[in-house]
Order: sequence, then C-alpha cells, then structure tokens
Amino acid sequence: MAILEIKNVSKFFGGLAANSDVSFDVHEGTIMGLIGPNGAGKTTLFNCITGYYPPSKGEVIFNGRKLNGLDPDKVCMLGMVRTWQKVRPLAKLSVVDNVMVGALARTGSLKVAREMAMEQIKVVRMEHRTNFLAGGLPIGERKKLEVARALATQPKILLLDEVMGGLNPAESEEIIQLILDIKQRGLTQMVIEHDMKAIMRISDRIVVLTSGEKLTEGSPQEVVSNPDVISAYLGEPHA
Amino acid sequence: MNKTILKSASILLLLVGLLIIPRFVESPYALHMMILLFMSVAQGQSWNILGGYAGQHSVGHAAYFGVGAYTTMMLMHSKGIVPWVGVWAGMAAVIVVALIIGSICFRLRGPYFVLASIAVAEIMRLSAINLTPLTNGAEGILATEIPAFKIGATVVTDFVTKVPFYYIGLFLVLLTLGVTYWVQHSKLGYFFQAIREDQDAAHSLGINIALYKNIGLVISAVLTSLAGSFYGIYVGFVDPPTVLGLDVSVQIMLICIIGGMGTIWGPVLGSLILVPLSEALRSNMITDLLVKIGMVNAESKIGIFLKENLSHAHVLLYGILVVLVILFMPDGLMGFVKKLAARRKREAV
Repeated sequence: MAILEIKNVSKFFGGLAANSDVSFDVHEGTIMGLIGPNGAGKTTLFNCITGYYPPSKGEVIFNGRKLNGLDPDKVCMLGMVRTWQKVRPLAKLSVVDNVMVGALARTGSLKVAREMAMEQIKVVRMEHRTNFLAGGLPIGERKKLEVARALATQPKILLLDEVMGGLNPAESEEIIQLILDIKQRGLTQMVIEHDMKAIMRISDRIVVLTSGEKLTEGSPQEVVSNPDVISAYLGEPHA
Repeated sequence: MNKTILKSASILLLLVGLLIIPRFVESPYALHMMILLFMSVAQGQSWNILGGYAGQHSVGHAAYFGVGAYTTMMLMHSKGIVPWVGVWAGMAAVIVVALIIGSICFRLRGPYFVLASIAVAEIMRLSAINLTPLTNGAEGILATEIPAFKIGATVVTDFVTKVPFYYIGLFLVLLTLGVTYWVQHSKLGYFFQAIREDQDAAHSLGINIALYKNIGLVISAVLTSLAGSFYGIYVGFVDPPTVLGLDVSVQIMLICIIGGMGTIWGPVLGSLILVPLSEALRSNMITDLLVKIGMVNAESKIGIFLKENLSHAHVLLYGILVVLVILFMPDGLMGFVKKLAARRKREAV
C-alpha cells in the first residue's frame, strides 16, 4: 500500500522550476532512495512534502490525507518527520534533552518523554553521550542525534536528507546499519543520498531527479543500468 | 544528595531572612532599596521567560510594564477602583495587547522582531502622551493615597509604611521565580528552548511555533504588567517616559544580559549588580567615596565635574558594562560562574 503519494508536484521560485511535475508512490515498510546531481531539487521536494514550502502545483497525499498547505508541525503530528542535510542540533541542550523535545510531541510528561528518548538514544547507540551538550558533538554523532530526535516523534515515515554527507566510511557504514535496523522495525523511509554504493544497498526502489524533473524510477539495478541516469551523472559521452 | 539538601536549606534560610528583615530594619531607605531590588528581579525574570528561554529578544517590554502600571493607576485615579482589583484589569489589558503584538511581530525573526517590538512600545508611549482624556497626557497620573486593604472590617494594611510594599515585592519575586522554575521543568521550557536554538528544527519536531511563542509572550507580559502595577502604586506616579520609555525596555533586558539569559538565577544576579550601581550613581555615592578615600579633591576641577556629571552618567556606564559582559562573559555572569565551576570540576579530576 502506498503510504505517501506524490502527485504531479511542482515548485516554482519565480521563473525557476525547482521541481516540475514529479510523481511517485512510497510503499509502506520500504526504503525509497532519492538521488540526482546537485541542484536536482531533492531537498526542495523534501521541503514541499514536509510543509516547509507549499507546492506550487500538485498534491502530496500521506496515509490518504492531502497535506498541501499544512505546517511542518502538523505534518509531524500526522506521523511524517524529516532530518536536515545541514544538521540542526539544539546546541545548548544535552543529547537527551534534544531527543526529549521530539518525544514531547507525543506526551506531556517529562518522565515518559525521558524514557522514550533513552530508547531512541539506544537505537542510535549514543548512550555514552546522553548528557553531552549537542553543540559539542562531532559531525557523525550529530547526524545520529538528528535521527534519534526524529524517531522520538514516533513517525510512520522518516525522511532522511543526506544523513551520510560528510561522514567517513566507518561512520557511513554505521548509518547504513541504522537505516536497515529502522526498516526492520517496519518504518517506511525516504532517503536522499549521494553515495551510490550506500543507496544501492539500502533502497527498495529509487527515484532519480535531474533539473527538477523525475528522470526515472525503478529498482536499484534498473536505475544504474539506465543510460539516461548515467548521462545525467557523468555526461553524454559515457552513456 | 547532600548537595541538594544543602541547596534547599540555604534557599530556605535566605527566604526566612528576607521575610523577617522588616522586623529588624526600620530604615525606610534600606527597605526602599530592597523594594527596588525586588522590582528589578521581577522585571528581569519576566523578560527572561520570553527572551532567555524562548530566545525572542523583545526590546519593547516597557509596553507591558506601562500598560499594567497605567491601567491600575487610571482605574484608581478616575474610578476609585482599589489597586488589588485594578491589577487584574491591568493583566487583562496586557493579555489583549500581548496577543495583538504577538500575532503581528512573531511573523518576524531575529533583528526584525527586535525592531518591531521597539516600535510597538513606542506606539504605546506616544498613545499615552496623546490620549490626554484617558491618561492625562504628558503630565502623568499622580495618586497620593491608596485606600487601606481590608478583609471584612479588619484593616490588613493601610500602606503608610514601606513594609507592605516590601512584602508585595517579595511576593512578586517568589511568583516570577516560581513561574520560571515551572517553565524550566515542563514541556513549555523544552519547547521554548528548542525554538530559541533552532526554529526550523523545532517546527519539524511538531512544535507549533506561533502558538508557543505567544504562550511565552503572554506569560512574560502578564508578569511584567504585575511589576508595572506594583511600580505605579509604590511610586504613586506614572508618566509616559518613566513607565513606557525605551530605556525601561532596555533596563529590563540588561538585567538578563548581565546576569545571564535563560537561567533561573541570572536575573537575580543581574539585579544585584544593576540596582546598587544605579543607586550609587544617582546619589553621588561614588564621587563621595572617591573624595573620602582621598583620590579626588572635592574642591578640584575633577571633583566638581564628577559631582555634577557622574549621576547622569548611568547610561554611559551601563553601556560600558554591557560591552564588557558581552566581550568577556557572553552567557552573562551566571554563564561565567557555571564555566568556572565546570573548570574547577575538571581540574579536580
């Protein structure tokens, strides 16, 4: 069943079409990869889906409900949460307090929120950092903190925006395992990623964007063997 | 564990001390200083909830201070309504003003919000000057007599001495401290701080930004209005510059910047520095001291210059103090103290 349907979504900034006529479905329990060269409109699409921009045209339907025009906080309460390419830790709060802010979307009790937060901190294996200030964490742990905080809002679908960007191979591997763990728990995910090897391993399906348009969609094998994708990434002669 | 007990015990002791001071201290001047201190703590703590915790640096808190003060004074002066009833009207008026201001200004972020908050307070000041039938314009409102506070036929207090004001001031301090403590230890505090640290991230985590900013503003504004009403009744006089002027807003904010924003004890520390400093300047205490210890000859040119001008120099000195604090302790005195404590702990290990 499609948990998230993107129907003919376009987003214009003045005359520039950051997304034009993008359509695809994300099925429950799967991982959808979203790839494309820089400036292809991946993050803009995330912003349109999660309520930071209203789409100029088209519809975003989540669990059968139209989201267009809903604010990000309402989208989160409905069960869709995103992380940020440029991480946004709440710098002066501790790790556990950061995750508690997420958990407080679902409970009014600090005690319950703390328990929920500790659970997610365990999921990302950051127990040893519980009381560290988020602003002092290295980049790899900040990325994991983003994921833990998002998970604490008890989402049905998790949107990860370049969660491996800027990480070393060991750290990336850790995140890949984390994403697969989260999938095991039945959570749907949509992942923007530049690392082709990683995206091939984790995705059930992949959508390729280029210049704001959907180039193709398919299983990882289908996508990498598609000459259009190769030319979009490497230029015409290599196709 | 021992530390918590020690902390609670010392706070309790301090409270008992503050409660019995008026029994032993009769000097009206000393009580007056304490009342000013209480008022400053209450003002700073009120601002701290919005500015320190939620990160919305309002430079227009004079609007809430002044509306509280004016409403109470106007009702007492023209309708003969007793202040402990007028205070509620003041709070109601401030809630209305705050929600109007919030719905407009919170569309703006950062420096634009600051500018809008200044503009709103200035609108209030100019309105108070020009709505003469209501506010008595630039002349202000003078209320020399406060009716005695009675329960049934018993007179609780007649407000002749400073003692009742001392206790009202102390009550305001405890109230604002209590509210701040409650905010810090509730969902509100987490949401406020999330909004302060990163508004977009907070938004993505299900926090209704506009709603929570307005909640912060209303709490902050109501407490500020209480301090304003108290000021009006205590001084017995309000006019536009003293309760609605820009320097009132700046002073309220300075208490927190110097003491430490977003901490419970920051505004207390800030007040402990600013109130005595401004009093020492106002009363020429510093010049007198310099003369006394022989650093300056009272008859010399410098002595005369200081005597004439130092009392007007408080704005200059505030400016210097702010520059120093921002340069050397960007998290205020409280942040500085915490940093020292953390360093000591590290060195002990």
